[in-house]
Amino acid sequence: PGDVVLDLSNMTNHTIKLGGGLRQDCDVISVMKAGTLRFSKPNKYWVENSQKRYVPHAEDSVLGIVVDSRSDNFLVDIKGPAIAFLPVLAFEGGTRRNIPKFEIGTLLYVRVVKANPGMNPELSCTDASGKAAEFGALKDGYMFECTTGLSRMLLSSPTCPVLDALGKKLSFEIAVGLNGRVWVNAASPPTTIIVANAIMNSETLSGAQQRIMVEKLLQKIQ
Amino acid sequence: MEEEKEAVMVTPGEVLGRTSDVKAGRGAYAALHNDTVYASLTGFRRTLPPAPDSSDQYIICNLQRPTIEVTGHKAHGPVPQPGSVVIARVTKVMARTASADIMCVGSKSVREKFSGIISIYDSYFDDRQQDVRATEIDKVEMHLCFHPGDIVRAHVLSLGDARAYFLSTAKNELGVVSAESIAVCASMLYILCLGATMVPVSWTEMQCPLTGQIEQRKVAKAAS
Repeated sequence: PGDVVLDLSNMTNHTIKLGGGLRQDCDVISVMKAGTLRFSKPNKYWVENSQKRYVPHAEDSVLGIVVDSRSDNFLVDIKGPAIAFLPVLAFEGGTRRNIPKFEIGTLLYVRVVKANPGMNPELSCTDASGKAAEFGALKDGYMFECTTGLSRMLLSSPTCPVLDALGKKLSFEIAVGLNGRVWVNAASPPTTIIVANAIMNSETLSGAQQRIMVEKLLQKIQ
Repeated sequence: MEEEKEAVMVTPGEVLGRTSDVKAGRGAYAALHNDTVYASLTGFRRTLPPAPDSSDQYIICNLQRPTIEVTGHKAHGPVPQPGSVVIARVTKVMARTASADIMCVGSKSVREKFSGIISIYDSYFDDRQQDVRATEIDKVEMHLCFHPGDIVRAHVLSLGDARAYFLSTAKNELGVVSAESIAVCASMLYILCLGATMVPVSWTEMQCPLTGQIEQRKVAKAAS
């Protein structure tokens, strides 16, 4: 943070789009977060970083925990600065008559609809077109926390190497929230633990190292 | 009739007269169940001569009642009344309402803390344009009208509930008067100053002078 990336006084008549982590200070573009500077043609710059804190943005899929329920919305904690509101009707086919009853502590896979600074984020259990699309409560399984960078790596396409290697030998289901929460569910507890540990250890490893680590882990069980 | 300057101190609940004899002014109220005028503040009682043109129900009896009022013995700060224009600072912006702390009533600053609430129905449109409000209410977003920390000029609609006055900014000359942008500027001595006062561009936009970024607010029309 503080490094100057671009000097705007040299470039005139260029339109530059700034993504996260960059800020315009009068004439220079400086960095606000520590990370890798990325550039996408024609004119987009942003900084990719990994942190344990989550800043809500619209259209993020996150894992939230129900903290309280009010008459018109549920209060859900998504690891952000403010508690998010999930309207009671924001489900597929949701009407006043079939309001779901979530207990305090229920884990939900939800989508952030609106996230403005200073306001509580608004969530929804449907995708943009109104269908359920796997959003909703997650039953059983094990949830652990990680950094936002690891969440993004797990969600990248093509499939992340560690998930690929684990998926060839074990069967499990996984839900990744961009707010640094991951949920794993498998038939037996040892499988769940192996998957969770493999993911937690894979943040700083390259693709090949991840596959080697997974193989060693699996050899130890069999 | 001479106005007697009485230095009589009265307390809330004291009987000041009967409604057939006197009219209740400031600091007093008439209880209709037993036709008596009581004081509602602590202070000095003053009798004012009757106004010559007032339409009074007792006029038929050819009687004009004097007005009794109770004025505070210490100077109180101004209190927002329905219909007054206040200046408030927005504290919290939510989906359909915004909370604000009232700082001035008219041109005087208040001595105690008063809270106000601006509802989404009263932030954007003139309340006489019923049709506009009904069709466009879904497109109005609260965070495009106010941000926390903005100074707004608003009109008090009513005393509201126990928590806050109800305020409205639904007129051209009401709305955000002054707002700070989210830009950060580093001065010569590497001291970071947060926010620059923005300049209004139109009735929905304000521009930051340092970065040129435009932010949306419901801007008040400046008094010419």
